[in-house]
Amino acid sequence: MNGAALGARVLALSLAWTAGCASAQTMPEARALLNRVYEATQTLSYTGTFVFQQGQRNETSRVTRRASAAGDVERLEVLDGSPREIVRTKDGVRCYLPQARTLKIGHGGGARGFPALLPARMDALLQHYTVRLGPMDRVADRACKTLTMEPKDDFRYGYALCADAESGMLLRAITLNEANVPVEQFTFTRLVIGDVHAEAVEPRYATRSWRIEEASVRPADLAAEGWRIESNLPGFQKIVEVVRESGARHRIGQIVYSDGLAAVSVFVESAEGRREPLSSGAVNVGGINIYVREVGDHVVTVVGETPAASVRRVADHVRYQRPQ
Amino acid sequence: MMVGDHPMKTKISALVDGELDLRELDTVFDALDRDDVPRETWRLYHLLSDAMRDTSLRSAGFSARFAEKLAVEPTVLAPGRLPAERGRWMALSAAASLAAVALVGWLAFAPAPGTAPGVLPGAPLASAPQATRVHSASTEGVRPVMRQTLEPRRASAPLPMRVLLLEATNDYLLAHQEFSPRSSLQGMAPYVRTVSAPIVEGMRR
Repeated sequence: MNGAALGARVLALSLAWTAGCASAQTMPEARALLNRVYEATQTLSYTGTFVFQQGQRNETSRVTRRASAAGDVERLEVLDGSPREIVRTKDGVRCYLPQARTLKIGHGGGARGFPALLPARMDALLQHYTVRLGPMDRVADRACKTLTMEPKDDFRYGYALCADAESGMLLRAITLNEANVPVEQFTFTRLVIGDVHAEAVEPRYATRSWRIEEASVRPADLAAEGWRIESNLPGFQKIVEVVRESGARHRIGQIVYSDGLAAVSVFVESAEGRREPLSSGAVNVGGINIYVREVGDHVVTVVGETPAASVRRVADHVRYQRPQ
Repeated sequence: MMVGDHPMKTKISALVDGELDLRELDTVFDALDRDDVPRETWRLYHLLSDAMRDTSLRSAGFSARFAEKLAVEPTVLAPGRLPAERGRWMALSAAASLAAVALVGWLAFAPAPGTAPGVLPGAPLASAPQATRVHSASTEGVRPVMRQTLEPRRASAPLPMRVLLLEATNDYLLAHQEFSPRSSLQGMAPYVRTVSAPIVEGMRR
């Protein structure tokens, strides 16, 4: 193959990745668009329907967000299969599972500070992804701007996004593996921006007589408890370290690492009461991978929006030494 | 004990075989939670399934092997499907169930080797009265399957590992999602993963 042909092929490949984008290196504009998506997500009121696609599965949900001075409320309703619903307020997250008659309450673990994560870490983020603007596209009858986030290594996934030209809302988000194959996809089929009434974000279920599952979440120092945990993934910095407690005996440590976009959680808990050794193993849930292994009478579970090899790498480096 | 034509029967059979539609898990577990009949069905089908796999059913060592099998079962991370055998034992179920009932009655009183009477090896001696799926909002992990205690009158087949993983998976995902920056670009949408019956491709050792 001569130089010109090789050059042409390389050019073709790069064009394929950027979807034929003529202005592939417009980093400041791409960065501005990411910020715009972030602003829209944090500030707008809207209601819309999206399809979540993962492997053979397609599931439609309605998402509603109501911004108000009293505090923003978001509600997610799964429209296919068994009804399920999640409501998020400034006080945390409530999952309504009517078939199991169960309400799961999460306190958000101080999530107030987290929306600021992305802009604050934009510089760090851009060290690990190449962000490029692509051509205009159309999703849910709305014009949108395509944006690709190509990872610079195999420790993280890539993303192909499309942001509403009018509002900045993300209309489509595809997670791509190292072979550039989608592992999961969120696509809006309908989106209405604007006034949302308070009733639209009210949960439809009365939970009297339901089982309530609730855990308290507070900051922790897992190193003091004997844990040696590191991300071992370039660019993944620790963003939180907590312990979750429910009941007298259930206590789980959690450390979360993030590169600014993807996150990896390390959960550690006692294996007390177990007589059989636990086999280690991996579970794939679309764009999320999970790896479980036993470390010194404890179970370590790593959950990450990363390729399987990355969660395994994190899990394999976890050490435990019982404090003296 | 009569199982009869309880509406859950087919679904429980599918669950035992690992062939139940994931979306129906909640319904079946609800039934298992609340109602004695489905629970008996569940136990009976497990015994039948085990019996059909074990051709030397009536040999002297069966009960010991059965107990060992139950004790070992929790470490099987992805129980295999047995589609070929299903039709066979469904067809035989009427005849076999009588034998199975007799077997259960006997097994239930037979102490498992090396343990306190009525307690399976591998089960803690704590006072969990029966297999429970009351999960905390935190992660139940892969542990609950170890909490099978066998009451003198009620042998409980272990819940399938894969199902427990599905439930625990959602708890882990919820705990993870609370801190993921993905929310700052996508709002609530990524939370859909935390309440769904995920397609889990299986535990791999």
